Amino acid sequence: MALSARLLALRGSPFLYKLPPYLSALCVLVGIGWILLLPLNEYSRQTYVSENAILPGQVHTYFGGSEHNIFRAFRQEVYALSQQPEDARQAGILKILADSGLKTASQPYAYQVAGESINGTNVYGIVQGPRADATEAMILLAAWRNFDDQINYSGVALALTLARYFSRWSIWSKDIILLIPSDSTYGPLAWVDAYHSISIPPTSSRNISALPLKAGALQAAVALDYPAGPWGQRFSSLDILYDGLNGALPNLDLLNTAVSIASGQMGIACTLHDHATHSDSYRDRLSVLASGLATQSLGHATGPHSAFIPYHVDAITLKTVGDGWHDEMSLGRVTESVFRSINNLLEHLHQSFFFYILLNANRFVSVGNYLPAAMVLAGSFTTSALGLWVLSGRDDVLVAPLAGGLAKQKVEMETVKLGGDMALVPKRSVQTIERELFVPALLLLGVHILGYIPLWLMTSLNRETLALGLHLTTAVSLILPISLATTIRLTRSQAQILQSLSLILLGALLATLATLNFSLALVIGLLASPLAFVRRSSSSLLTAAQALSLAITSPPVAVYAFQRVFYPAAGLEKLLLELAKGWSAQGVWLLWVAWGVWWPAWVVGGVVVGSGVMSARR
Amino acid sequence: MHLSTLLSLPASLALLTLATVYASPHSYTEHLHLLPLPQSHLHAHFNFTATTPLSAYESSHFRYFPRSLAQILQHTRTKELHLRFTTGRWDDESWGARPLDGTREGGTGVELWAWVDGGGSKTVPEERWSELVNSLSGLFCASLNFIDSTKTVRPVRLFEPEGDHGSEKGGLQLLHGMLPHEVVCTENLTPFLKLLPCKGKAGISTLLDGHKLFDATWQSMAIDVRPVCGAADGGECVLEIQQSVSMALSIPRSMRDRHDPIPRPAKIEDVQCDESKPWNGHDTCFPNAVTDEPAWTLSKVFGHAAKGACDLERNDQAFDVTLEVPSDRPVNATGASELTFPSTTRRHYRLSASSSFDLSLPACPSPVNPMALFTPPLYATRQIAGHGQERGSMHTTLRNPHAHPLTLVYMESLPWYLRPYMHTLRLSNGKQEKLYYTPALDRERGTHLELVLTIPAQSTTTLTYDFEKAVLRYTEYPPDANRGFDVAPAVVRVLSEHGGFGGSYVRTTSLLLSLPTPDFSMPYNVIILTSTVIALGFGSLFNLLTRSFVLAEEVPPSPLAGIIRRARDAVKGLLGKKTGGDEKESKAADAQAGETAEAPSLAKERTDGKANGIANGHADLRERKARVVT
Repeated sequence: MALSARLLALRGSPFLYKLPPYLSALCVLVGIGWILLLPLNEYSRQTYVSENAILPGQVHTYFGGSEHNIFRAFRQEVYALSQQPEDARQAGILKILADSGLKTASQPYAYQVAGESINGTNVYGIVQGPRADATEAMILLAAWRNFDDQINYSGVALALTLARYFSRWSIWSKDIILLIPSDSTYGPLAWVDAYHSISIPPTSSRNISALPLKAGALQAAVALDYPAGPWGQRFSSLDILYDGLNGALPNLDLLNTAVSIASGQMGIACTLHDHATHSDSYRDRLSVLASGLATQSLGHATGPHSAFIPYHVDAITLKTVGDGWHDEMSLGRVTESVFRSINNLLEHLHQSFFFYILLNANRFVSVGNYLPAAMVLAGSFTTSALGLWVLSGRDDVLVAPLAGGLAKQKVEMETVKLGGDMALVPKRSVQTIERELFVPALLLLGVHILGYIPLWLMTSLNRETLALGLHLTTAVSLILPISLATTIRLTRSQAQILQSLSLILLGALLATLATLNFSLALVIGLLASPLAFVRRSSSSLLTAAQALSLAITSPPVAVYAFQRVFYPAAGLEKLLLELAKGWSAQGVWLLWVAWGVWWPAWVVGGVVVGSGVMSARR
Repeated sequence: MHLSTLLSLPASLALLTLATVYASPHSYTEHLHLLPLPQSHLHAHFNFTATTPLSAYESSHFRYFPRSLAQILQHTRTKELHLRFTTGRWDDESWGARPLDGTREGGTGVELWAWVDGGGSKTVPEERWSELVNSLSGLFCASLNFIDSTKTVRPVRLFEPEGDHGSEKGGLQLLHGMLPHEVVCTENLTPFLKLLPCKGKAGISTLLDGHKLFDATWQSMAIDVRPVCGAADGGECVLEIQQSVSMALSIPRSMRDRHDPIPRPAKIEDVQCDESKPWNGHDTCFPNAVTDEPAWTLSKVFGHAAKGACDLERNDQAFDVTLEVPSDRPVNATGASELTFPSTTRRHYRLSASSSFDLSLPACPSPVNPMALFTPPLYATRQIAGHGQERGSMHTTLRNPHAHPLTLVYMESLPWYLRPYMHTLRLSNGKQEKLYYTPALDRERGTHLELVLTIPAQSTTTLTYDFEKAVLRYTEYPPDANRGFDVAPAVVRVLSEHGGFGGSYVRTTSLLLSLPTPDFSMPYNVIILTSTVIALGFGSLFNLLTRSFVLAEEVPPSPLAGIIRRARDAVKGLLGKKTGGDEKESKAADAQAGETAEAPSLAKERTDGKANGIANGHADLRERKARVVT
C-alpha cells in the first residue's frame, strides 16, 4: 500500500513532465554505447558447432587424383562454352550433367524492373541419392556470372566435377541438386520461388517458368564463387557470405561448419565482408560488425545464396579471395566435406542461432546481447511520445508555476468539494484541455498515405528518370512540412498530439522491425532520432536550428549521402536502380521502411517545427 | 489274409499320405530373374513360392509354409496378406516399366494390406487388424505396430483380392496401412530369410546379403499370401506364400571390393578421355560418357556365389535362374546346367545341388537398348509446394506416355495433421470419374482420398489441392521434431485397357511435411519464464499507475446501462399498454422511469466532477497544494 501511495503521489509531480526528453536522450546514448560495447570479449562469444550430428571435418575427403585432370578439362570446356551463344552454352552444360548421370532440366526466367529486363535460364541437375528416399535435398550452386558480374569459370567447373564425383557415392541421405543460374541474384531467386510453388502466374514485372523437375524439402545450399579463368588462379582465403534477403541469416551452424572445415581441416583462412586482414583487435571487430549491420540493413542479395534464406533454406557462398597457395582441389575438398556434414543432418538445421552478429569468422554476438540496442533506440521515441501525450492534455502554464514555486505568483483558486471535505486548489490545475484528436489523426493518416507516392516513384520510374524522381521527392519533402503547417493551423495541443501519435507509431514499428531485421531498425532509429527531440517553439532561432537538423537527417538527403559515401563510383542512378530492383524483384522491405515509416514520421516532425513558426507569427 | 490286411493297412495309409502329399501341393519353388538395365544397372528378382493345402493349414500341418506366419494369419483370420519393405527409387525414365507391373512392390518404407474376415462386425476387423500388425511387427522386427487407426485406410477401388476366396469374399474387409518413415534394413531381411525352407543357407537365397541388398538403388521385399484354387488339383485349394525380393543394383558400385567400398577417384589410366578435345593432355582429361555395361560376375555383384541348390522336391524341368541378355552375348556359367529354350534372349540355369553357382559376363559395348524396354504405364510425381508453417499445397503430376487414354485409381492416405481443403481440389486436363473421400478425425483417423480418373492420351494431368498444417500437442512430436513428418506415397493403379481385373501399380515417392515445431530448447523455456515474470510485474505496476481508486458509491452508473434500462422500460411500457395494463404494473414502470430519468443527471454531475480533474486518487495531493496556497 505504501508503494502504491508513493506511486500515486508521483503522478502529479512536475518533475515527470520535464523528464521524457532527457530519458529519450539517454535511450539514444545507451543504444549507441551498447553497440560499441559488443566487440568486447565480455559481450561476444567464440562460435561453436551446436548440432551434434554435423561432425564437421570428421570425414576423410577423397576429392583429388584424376578428378583434378577432369576439373582442368571441365574448366577448359566451361571457357569454350563461354565463347558460345547462350543456347549452346546451356546445352553444353546440360550434356555434361546428363553424361555424369544426373537428371537434368532448365528453367527460363525474366524480370522487368525500372525499364530494365533481366533474362536468363537456370540449368540444373539432380544427383538422386542412390539410397535416399527423395524427401530431402541439398543444393550446390555455381552461378554462371558471379555477384561482381565476372564469369565464374572455375566455380562452375568445380561444381560440375563435384557433381560427377558425388554421383558415385552411395552414402547420400539427401538428393544433391546442382544449380547453375545465369546470374547470381535473379536466377536463384526465380528458381527457389518456383521450387516452392505450383506455378507462378506471370505478371508485368516477372515471368518465371515452373520447374519441370523437383526433389524433396531443401535443407541447405552452398554456393561457389571462384571466377579464375581457364589457367587457374590460386587463392589465399575464403570469404564467406551469409546475408540473406531482408537481413535474414542462415543458421549459425552452417557457417561454423564451413569455417571449421576450411580453417581446421584444410588450413584455409576464412574472412567475412572482405576484411582480408583481421587482427582480432577491437577496431577490426567493430569494422566487421559495421559491415554486417550495413549489409543486413540494406537487405539486398549479397550473393547467390541470399534468395534461399527467406524460404528457411540455410545457405552460404564460399568466395575465393586473394592470391595464395590454395588451389581448386582444396576448395573442392572443403565443399565435399561440407556436403558430407550436411548429409549427416537428421533434422533441419535448427540447433544454433538464427539471429547473430559476427565479429570475425569465429566470434559472434548472440541476439540477447545485441537486441536491446535497437529496442532502447525505439524506446526513445515511445518515451517522448508518452511525455507529449500527457503534456497535450494540460495547459502548459501549469508546469512552470508548479516547478517555480506557487507561492510567488498569484493564482486563481477554486474550491473542490468531495463528499463532506472541501479543498482549495489552483484553478488551472483542475482545468484540463479536451484533446482534439481528429485533425492530428487525420493528418497523420494522410502523411502516411502520401508516403506511398515517393515509394511508387522510386520503384516504378524508368532508369533514366529515377534520379529526377528523387530530386523531385527531395524538393517536395522539404517544402511539404512548411506548406502543411501554414495550411493546417495546429494549436499547441494538436501539434503535441500529432507528434505523440507519430512517435508512438514509429517506436512500435521500429521495435517490431528490430525482431525481424535488427540492423535496419537500428539504422533507421539512429537516423530518425532527432524526431524525438524537435518541439514546437516560438523562438525563431530554435526553430531554424531544429529545421536544419531535420533537413540534414531527412530520408532523401540520406539517400544522397549514402551514395556519396558508399558508392561514389556507381552514381546515383545505379544506386536507385538497384534499390528499385530490390523492391520489385527481390521483395526487399528497405524502401517501404524508408518511405512508408521513416518519411511520414519525418514529415510530421517538420510540420510540428513549422507550426511553431506559424504560432510565433500569430 | 488277416495278417496281410493288417500289414497292408499302415502301408496303404503311408501310401495314402504320400499320395496326398504329392497330389496336394505341399510345394516349394524358387527362382531368380536377372536383367541388365541401362546406366550399368542390373535388375534381380528373387521369387520363393511355397504352398500348403488349406486343409493342412487349418489343421496346423506345415511343410514349406512358414509356421510362424501361418499361426498369425490363423489367429487374426487374415485371408490374404500383402507386406512390402521398400527402399530407394525405381528410375522409370531410364529403366522403363516397373517389374511385374509394380504389383510386387510397395511405397518407401513399409506397406501392408490385408483382407481380414470381419465376421459381419464393424469393430472386429479393426481388432484383428491391430493384432495382425502387432504380431507382424514382432515377426519382422519392423515398427508395424505404429500402423494404428490414424494410419489405416480402407481403399475402395485400389486393390482387389488376388486369391480365390469363393463364397467368403463378401465377408472380407480390406485394410491398408503405410509407414513411410520406416527404414528398411538387415533386421528386416533376416526374419524374411528365416521364413524360407532353406533359410538362406542354400539355393539362390544365399545371394541375399544385407550389404549388397541395401546398397541397391532400389529394392523391395514382398510377402504375399493368398488362397489359390486350381482346377487341376481336383478343386482343392492351397494357401500360397510368395516371398520376393526385387532389386536394381548399380553394377559398378556392387562390383567394388567389399573390404574397401570407397569410390576413390579412378586412376587416370582408367578414365576414358575424350581425345578429340584440343586441350586433352597429360593433366587434362575430359571424361567420355560411360555407356558400356561393365563386366560383372554374380559372385561379386552379390558378395558371394550361390551355394548349391535348395533341393526340395524339384521337378526335372525346373530351373532356378533366368538371365535375360541378347543371345550373342558371351556368358560363362559355373555350377549349373544350362537349359535351352526357344526364346532368344532368355537363358535358364538349373543349379547343381553341391557346387556353387556363378555367372560372369564380359563388358558389353552396346548395352541394353532403352527403346526395347517397356514404356511405363504412367509417370507420376508428387510434391509439396508452398512455404511457411501454416499452409501448403499438394501437387501431383501424372503423365500418360501412351497413345490411348488411361483410366486409373489414385489413392492418398494422409495423416490427420495434414488437413486438405477439398474445395481447392483441382484436376487439370483430366476427367474425374469418381471420388471416395473419408475426412480425417483429429488423432483418430487419417484422410482417405481415392479418385478414379481418366487421362487423355499423351498428356500430363496435374492434381492439386491446398492443405492446412495442424498444430500438434507438444508430447506428440517425435524426438527428431525438426525433421518434419513423412507423408505416405500416393498409390496409383492403372486399370487395364479392357477394364477388367488387374492393372499395374505406380507409387510416388514419400514426402516430408514440416509442421510448426516449438523450440524445445532450454533458452526457450527461460524466455517464457522471464516473459511471464515481466508481464506480471509490468501488469501490476501499470495497474497502479493508471487506475483511479474511488469509493463504491462514487462509481457513476454506466451510460450504456442507462440506455439499456430505458430501452427495456420502453418495451415494457409498450407491452403494458397493449395488454391494457393493470395499475400496479404501470406504477412500477413509472417508478422505474423516474429513477432512470434521475440517473443520467446524477451521472453527469459525477463525471463532470471527475473530468474536472484530476482523478480522485489525487485528492491527497490537491489537499496538500491547497494547504500550501492557504
